[in-house]
Amino acid sequence: MMIIASDPLLSSDIGFSVVAIMLLKVVIAFALLMVSVMLVIWFERKIVADMHNRVGPSLAGPWGILQTLADGIKLFFKEDLLPERADRVVFRLAPYLSLVPAFLSFAIVPIGGDFTNGGDGTVSIFGHRTLLQVADPPVGILLFLALSSIAVYGVMLAGWSSGSKYPLLGSVRASAQMISYEAALGLSMATVFLFSGTLSTSGIVSGQATWNWNLVSTGFIPFIIFVIAGTAELNRPPFDLVEAEQELVGGFHTEYSSIRFALFFLAEFMNMITMSAIAVTLFLGGPNGPILIKQIAWVWPILWFFLKVMAFLFTFVWLRATLPRLRYDQLMDLGWKLLIPASLGWFLLIAALNIGEDRGWSTFLIVPIGLIVLSLAALLLNGAIKKAKDSSLHAADLSEISEGVDQ
Amino acid sequence: MTSQYLPVIALLVLAVLFAAISFVVSRLLAPRSPNDRKQAPYECGIIPAEEDPNERFPVRFYLVAMIFIVFDIEIIFFYPWALSHRSLGLFGLVAVVIFALAVFESFIYLIGKGALEWGPNKQVKPKDSVVSLTRNTSNTIRRVGVRKVGQEGRDLPNQSVENKEVSS
Repeated sequence: MMIIASDPLLSSDIGFSVVAIMLLKVVIAFALLMVSVMLVIWFERKIVADMHNRVGPSLAGPWGILQTLADGIKLFFKEDLLPERADRVVFRLAPYLSLVPAFLSFAIVPIGGDFTNGGDGTVSIFGHRTLLQVADPPVGILLFLALSSIAVYGVMLAGWSSGSKYPLLGSVRASAQMISYEAALGLSMATVFLFSGTLSTSGIVSGQATWNWNLVSTGFIPFIIFVIAGTAELNRPPFDLVEAEQELVGGFHTEYSSIRFALFFLAEFMNMITMSAIAVTLFLGGPNGPILIKQIAWVWPILWFFLKVMAFLFTFVWLRATLPRLRYDQLMDLGWKLLIPASLGWFLLIAALNIGEDRGWSTFLIVPIGLIVLSLAALLLNGAIKKAKDSSLHAADLSEISEGVDQ
Repeated sequence: MTSQYLPVIALLVLAVLFAAISFVVSRLLAPRSPNDRKQAPYECGIIPAEEDPNERFPVRFYLVAMIFIVFDIEIIFFYPWALSHRSLGLFGLVAVVIFALAVFESFIYLIGKGALEWGPNKQVKPKDSVVSLTRNTSNTIRRVGVRKVGQEGRDLPNQSVENKEVSS
């Protein structure tokens, strides 16, 4: 069932009108992202304020809705400092490396289009059929992963080039955290591809058109792992050790001021929106949903997509207001010793189920055998973790004795 | 097929332009009056240390990066198989399970060796007599005072002279 999905707009001959529509889509996506970042920052501050029993931003515009805009304009007027020990070239380059991938990864998200009843999700603009997403490369999700890897460079180089202690420690922590959870993120996505059979985002969405959302067909576990790993990948609380104020001041952007800081901030919230949108695309059927009023059929997919993304954004804010920050060893243990092995095991189990279904094996045979194999692996892993803990305790014991002698 | 990437390139150009124009606008609008204090590396009120901060960081982070590469390669091998696992059938499944087991085995070895051990490793009971059942306010406070404040926090006379020279 290979589907080579692609945007029909760009498959035909590329003339002037095609380029114009493409540029229109790009500009709309750009504006949409900027406006939604503005609103999401306001939304987060308002919700957190409500949860803290405060008022939150309330002066700029109605309900303080223009607060982010005011903050942004303020940052333009602030002095832009270059620390004396900074690596000048890399220090200037790092905000670009953070911002540009954040913009680009939004390009693959389908934000609308009717995929139900055999629809291909395209809409007609000026006589051309096109998908409601900026680009639909056949390797869409791979592009997303690649761009999120480049974003790690932005964070790492920003901290390294600052020539200061706190940014360096923050960036080293950030890159270790982001690459750790990227492995879990990638493995949990792999289970989705067992069902979609394509890496293209529009293909994944059209595979979930008949209410068979990947959330259910992959068995919930990959979704849970994806959300946890996504939160860690975004450096959102409770995984915000990168900018743990009590230890690291501001983390990797301590030395950044003015517009350079604003670009990091912008990229952070763009990534939050994109990660929510990717989670919706992969697991919650993207823009799929019931079309209630036929006259305005094109509105409903966009509305459903918007509501699903909002649910994720609210959850991120809710997590921030609820959970205390993890310790660094807890963070690493959760990523490496729980999420990665669990997503790996679940992926193989689902794959075995699929193959068994094709070959007519009994499900009642595969599931127990699979679970036994997985629990054996879990026991082995647990033994290894115990052994490592014991030996580190032993080493501490010895060092404690020698310290005692010293005193 | 490459034409599908045209919008991505257009968006790339737009994003770079946006960032570049922001820098230019900020350069035109923002005041410029750098001085030593502003340009010094950030510290909470104390004079920044002399040593180059970019020289050393814990090697464990490097280890994590190395282990990540193994898993990233595993993911890269998984994706194409996941897309066509139904047509590859049992043969593909067995091959992938063997591959996954080989990676998992080395992962177990790494964990058993403590390569991903970040935990607080001082969980043993303290042995010295000061921290014991007989401890009271006077001996704990004295101990803390001698060990922590006396050697680290308090300025020794000759050090503060050096610091003043650096700052001037």
